[in-house]
Amino acid sequence: MTDAFVAHNGVSWAESPKYLWPRPNNDDREFWEGARRGELRIQRCLSCGKHQHYPRFLCSHCGKGELEWITASGLATIYSFTVVRQNGVPPFSERVPFVVAVVDLDEDGARMIAALPKLDPDAARVGLRVRAEFRPATDDAAFVDFAPAE
Amino acid sequence: MKRRVCVVGVGLSDGPVTPDLSAINLEAQSFRRALDDAGLELSDIEGLASAGYGGMHEVQLAEYLGLTPRWLESSSTGGSSFEFHTMHAFRAIEAGDVDTIAIVYGNNQLSASGRTLGTGGGGGGGRGALPLSMGYEFPSGLTLVGAYAMAAQRHMHQFGTTPEQLASISVQTREHAARNPNAMYRDPLTIDDVLSSRLVADPLHKFDCCVISDGGCCIILTTEERARELAHKPVYVRGAAGGTTHHSIQAMADMTRTAAAVSGPKAFAEAGITPADVDMFAMYDSFTYTVLVVLEDLGFAPKGEGGGFVTDGGGNLRLGGALPTNTDGGGLSATHPGMRGLFLLCEATRQLRGEAGDSQVPGAEIAVAHGSGGWLSTQATVVLGTEPVT
Repeated sequence: MTDAFVAHNGVSWAESPKYLWPRPNNDDREFWEGARRGELRIQRCLSCGKHQHYPRFLCSHCGKGELEWITASGLATIYSFTVVRQNGVPPFSERVPFVVAVVDLDEDGARMIAALPKLDPDAARVGLRVRAEFRPATDDAAFVDFAPAE
Repeated sequence: MKRRVCVVGVGLSDGPVTPDLSAINLEAQSFRRALDDAGLELSDIEGLASAGYGGMHEVQLAEYLGLTPRWLESSSTGGSSFEFHTMHAFRAIEAGDVDTIAIVYGNNQLSASGRTLGTGGGGGGGRGALPLSMGYEFPSGLTLVGAYAMAAQRHMHQFGTTPEQLASISVQTREHAARNPNAMYRDPLTIDDVLSSRLVADPLHKFDCCVISDGGCCIILTTEERARELAHKPVYVRGAAGGTTHHSIQAMADMTRTAAAVSGPKAFAEAGITPADVDMFAMYDSFTYTVLVVLEDLGFAPKGEGGGFVTDGGGNLRLGGALPTNTDGGGLSATHPGMRGLFLLCEATRQLRGEAGDSQVPGAEIAVAHGSGGWLSTQATVVLGTEPVT
């Protein structure tokens, strides 16, 4: 873990609680490392054809175990959102207000939660088209944010 | 032959602010008061349930209280844990495994940790590693309040639910709190007060959120046969069911429908009732939206029409309304020591005994206690009545 990467508003992730750091594990190392390369990597089930995020050992749609990694388009639609105006934990305490959304990826079955640091809170709405952006966090992981697609 | 099961003792600790009592003091105090209420002795308690403190707390609590129970339960589903405990205790007593069970919870949340629960860490965690999907939620900066806010936002988008309708839940709950001397906040509240309070996470304002308090609660269940020998008119457990749809809010497939849509109909069917039979509702009001969505899921209002149900006729949650709800002032105004599920069962029992004083629902025969845990993640419904299912 390097502290060379600085989050928004000048608060280093190293100054943030450890639970806010990416924690690549056996299931999702490919996701975090893909994001570091600028690719949104998700799983697709070879049995039912649906996609899933977060990465798991089995398909959460049909329960089968044969999954492949694909690079998603990065395009998604806001399913719902909130504007976080109070958060006591750095770096978020310095960043409020900001939008967090649950977005449905264009790839069927996959949903993600993400920050949308570039989206004006007043412009946030359900149904907004958004695109993934990658924000380096460590040497081998990046956060996936979303921003308005147009 | 299944045995009938009754709530025979309820105890509330001091509250809502108790800087001189530890969490386990609050548990012990409410336990002692429930024993006294029931007219039972320590040696009568054969089973113990508790949750909220991680591994083996119910074992530590048994030791602390001087119990050596042969039935233990620690389902940890957040705020609904105690409705799950009641369901499991109901089954165990019904089946004849054990006769008498105490369910206990207490926390000095306010005095020990302040008001940081809802906004103190990503998704409300922050107390350590909640792995898997929470590893994605926390770095987004979402708070516990924000998770509920996102669900409320979706409901507003889909059904046109308004901030005023959500606010009305808080306003009506405050009216109940005004009659409860142990409530945290008792001054009258208006819709404008709620809407002009600061937004914590859109669309939820400060007064859409429950309070943080100290407090403990205990209920004791036993067989109908034993209950007939005890101090109070028995309150029967008529039905119970639970379920879950997700852990982190990102995995909630439909943010306008909770597992209450499954637990409610199942519990009501077992209890032999319909929503129209319910005289009083004790609902885990972590946020105004929690109440609104569960009112719909339990069938008190059609899906999408919870907002209208809340405000119709001058307010259906008031005394005299179609469904008096959280008559002790709820979590929104009265008591919320980290988790509130057990307090719901206590208030429902008080109502069915006719002991609710100025807040009594006249002639209440059927009450529903419904717990919601996590981030709308877990739901459990318990139907109580003055008479058994026949």
